[in-house]
Amino acid sequence: MAENDSRSPNGPGDHSRRNFLRGSGLAAASAVLTSQATAALAEAEAQVASAEPQVLSGDVNLTLMVNGKDMSCVVEPRSTLLDTLRNRLDVTGPKRVCDRASCGACTVILNGDPVYSCTTLAVSCQGKKIETVESFDTGENGVPHAFHQHDALMCGYCTPGFVTACKAWLDRHPGKEPTLEDVKRGLDGNICRCGTYIGVFEAALAVAKNQKGV
Amino acid sequence: MAAWPESTRLIGSSIPRLDGLAKASGRAKYPSDIRPEGMLFGVILSSPYASAKVKSIDLEPARKMPGVKAVLAMAQPGETTIYYQGQEIAAVAAETEEKARDAARAIKVEYEILPHVVTERQSSAPDAPKVFNNGNYRAGRAQTAGKPDEAMQKADVVIEATYELPVITHVCLEPHGLTAEWKGSDSITAYASTQSVMTVANDMVQTFGVPASNVTVLTEVMGGGFGSKFNADAWGIAAARLAKDAGRPVRMFLDRAQEHMIAGNRPSAKAHVKLGATADGKLAAMIAETSGTGGRSPSNFPLPYVYHVANRSRTHTEISVNCGGARAMRAPGHPQGCAVMEAAMDDLADKLGMNPLEFRLKNLAETDPVGGGINRTELYHEQIERGAKLIGWERWKPRGQNGDGPIVRGLGMALHQWGGGGAQDKQVACIINPDGSVELRSATQDIGTGARTILAVIAAEVLGLEVGQIKSNIGNSTFPPGQSSGGSTTTPSMAPPCLNAVTQARDELFQKLAPGLNCAVDDLTLSGGKLLVKGEEKMTWEQACRKLGVMPINTIGRFGPGLSSIGVGGCQFAEVTVDIETGVVRLKKIVAVQDTGLILDMLTWKSQIYGGVIGGLNYGMFEERIMDEGTGVMLNPDMEMYKLAGATDIPEIIVDAYDTPEMRKRGVIGVGEPPTISTAAAIGNAVANAIGVRVPKWPMSPMNVLNALAAKEGKA
Ligand code: FES
Ligand code: FES
Repeated sequence: MAENDSRSPNGPGDHSRRNFLRGSGLAAASAVLTSQATAALAEAEAQVASAEPQVLSGDVNLTLMVNGKDMSCVVEPRSTLLDTLRNRLDVTGPKRVCDRASCGACTVILNGDPVYSCTTLAVSCQGKKIETVESFDTGENGVPHAFHQHDALMCGYCTPGFVTACKAWLDRHPGKEPTLEDVKRGLDGNICRCGTYIGVFEAALAVAKNQKGV
Repeated sequence: MAAWPESTRLIGSSIPRLDGLAKASGRAKYPSDIRPEGMLFGVILSSPYASAKVKSIDLEPARKMPGVKAVLAMAQPGETTIYYQGQEIAAVAAETEEKARDAARAIKVEYEILPHVVTERQSSAPDAPKVFNNGNYRAGRAQTAGKPDEAMQKADVVIEATYELPVITHVCLEPHGLTAEWKGSDSITAYASTQSVMTVANDMVQTFGVPASNVTVLTEVMGGGFGSKFNADAWGIAAARLAKDAGRPVRMFLDRAQEHMIAGNRPSAKAHVKLGATADGKLAAMIAETSGTGGRSPSNFPLPYVYHVANRSRTHTEISVNCGGARAMRAPGHPQGCAVMEAAMDDLADKLGMNPLEFRLKNLAETDPVGGGINRTELYHEQIERGAKLIGWERWKPRGQNGDGPIVRGLGMALHQWGGGGAQDKQVACIINPDGSVELRSATQDIGTGARTILAVIAAEVLGLEVGQIKSNIGNSTFPPGQSSGGSTTTPSMAPPCLNAVTQARDELFQKLAPGLNCAVDDLTLSGGKLLVKGEEKMTWEQACRKLGVMPINTIGRFGPGLSSIGVGGCQFAEVTVDIETGVVRLKKIVAVQDTGLILDMLTWKSQIYGGVIGGLNYGMFEERIMDEGTGVMLNPDMEMYKLAGATDIPEIIVDAYDTPEMRKRGVIGVGEPPTISTAAAIGNAVANAIGVRVPKWPMSPMNVLNALAAKEGKA
């Protein structure tokens, strides 16, 4: 079912719907629960029960592990991961475009999962592994190289998000050579206004093929 | 003056853009990414009302808030009239963006709320409040040629229909804005997301009275403009003012909702059209009453378009609404004019019982009204033939014969044209350094078109180097005057001076080297990174340049006739399926046949065409600004309910470069705009062909399709 999760940064990920239900609190409100969602809910409840509730206010000292480095800054509890990266830590690969989880330009990889950093709180990311586009291999086997070669970018403002979504998809499907349909679904959580999709599809297919051959 | 080389090594091949890897790896620093030391974050407080008077503004609560460094009123109490939601009221700069937002929210503004009109319907209703001093609408004078009424009476077949296109917004992914940094009291640097570094610089000079020589506007890269980003704008000026007050740099970029509301839009279009033809398919007369709104900005569009109608009359009415003003948007006016004209053409062909392709060929105008008077008739014939083959037009069937449903299939087509052409007063500097490095400089910018790369392609071609060896330094207002990125004029304006600058620099180098080599200047050539004497390799490029000693070569190239030209067109075809039970349209395939001129970089050229088609596809299928008549606010100022195509919405797209020897002889032309013009028109025609009835309103959303089907069944 996650395959149909249009406009989710998790794309055709394996448990995106479950994460979504957990993350949004919708599970608790929903009257009709699939067995998968019920399991997710139970898991979430267990997590909540085991964790002490924490109330944060004012300025918070925060250390985030970004691209393998510990980075410290002061944020507010409401500060998003995106704004923290961009405004406090000068990690400006992820872009702020819609700021409402609709466009994917802010996508980062959090503990292996692609997430929209514009709708993720920075304080919730402590102790997690944050990977942004800046950390990706820029060599010939990397996703950025493929985007460059296939001109999968014009103004390039959406590009870090597409590259990140693409990298996350490949990481989650090692050795799989995707079809064009797979690629389209995998990148359906991202929007490009310049209209570079054709190049993006070519780049994604090429890099998958290339990596499979490695 | 230089001429384009006859045979080329690089020009016209596929060369990845110079800044592509920096962009794709997140390393490129956009204006919105730049953070000078001590930078503050700026926020604009916008009016929540569409129509109001500002009675009072109290900035004090904001000033008192922690972290706030400067506050500025942008509206004047007792004076300022609010004409649209989002209009600027005040601006704040604070240590963090969160604090700046809080402070903006804390500003106390008293409004006298006035009645508003936010849709064309509301504005022109008989009992509408008159909210604009000069009235809500202004009917233009009829533009008449021949004897339209008489000719219409004599026409064998006449259609009468109303077509409508909504207001759409630019949705540049990087919001409008800049970061302003003062250096001393009369010197300013702005990192601006702009299509014209020179215009932004001039705005700063005019506003602050600082010497032009003390203003620097930098746009290394930027995240999309599409016609909406030429000026510093009120918010950019506010950033500079706040920066001055606070004594620290200020970053000011709009939020997404403000982008939709105040940063520009493409005007709507409505056309009531009567179009008549003779029984053998010759256009006889057109009578059109059109209107549109661009807020309080003009909304006009070309009509008739592409086709020749000898007897015609047209009246256009400008409707004002309480919404943000229109700005140029990718081929201003043309997508509207094209959609209206091409819809009417198809409807008339249907009534005539003619194949719409044949009908079009019979009626092409011999003088291209926008493209420098070129007779495009033959070009169109050839392009249509190619496009028809690529889409499989032989499968075309008349309306109503495309399946019994629920899934029906349709084909449609449309033609476009554009002027473009180059400005003749722009310059490029070429510097050849003694260490062999080569730099180009100009105050133009690359808004995603590949401008940076094509300049380097030209230099590398002439100097026998690789593209990566050329530093293409643009996006700096202090460099020799460059073209604004608009109107598909950048390449035709900048490529000629670039070719001239580099050719002159090369010739100067030859002049300096020839005596030492005991040869004539004419004996020297450059190829493969080497200097050749009479065709024989003599030394490397670097060795040759070292002979310059300490003096670089520095030339300025200017425009040269014959290197670029005006007038560009093409045709597009669309294939769709429509589910007549749900109204859902799926695009199957789009074919775009496009004039090329002399292509400099095939890779970025193709991206331009794909991008244009996808822009047009959005216009045809998804985009629409939705205003709430009751409250006067925009209902979809976001990227969720303001729909744009995602990956799964993209059909097969075939780009066919109409790249002929004649085309190349024309020199370079710009193609940023032309390919976006006819897509929505072709899609609309394909939908009509599929379902057997015209959907008179764009976009081809399920609702608009179902309404058209219901109207056909008399259930409207
Ligand atoms: S900015 Fe986060 S999804 Fe658009
Ligand atoms: S490249 Fe400009 S938005 Fe995608």
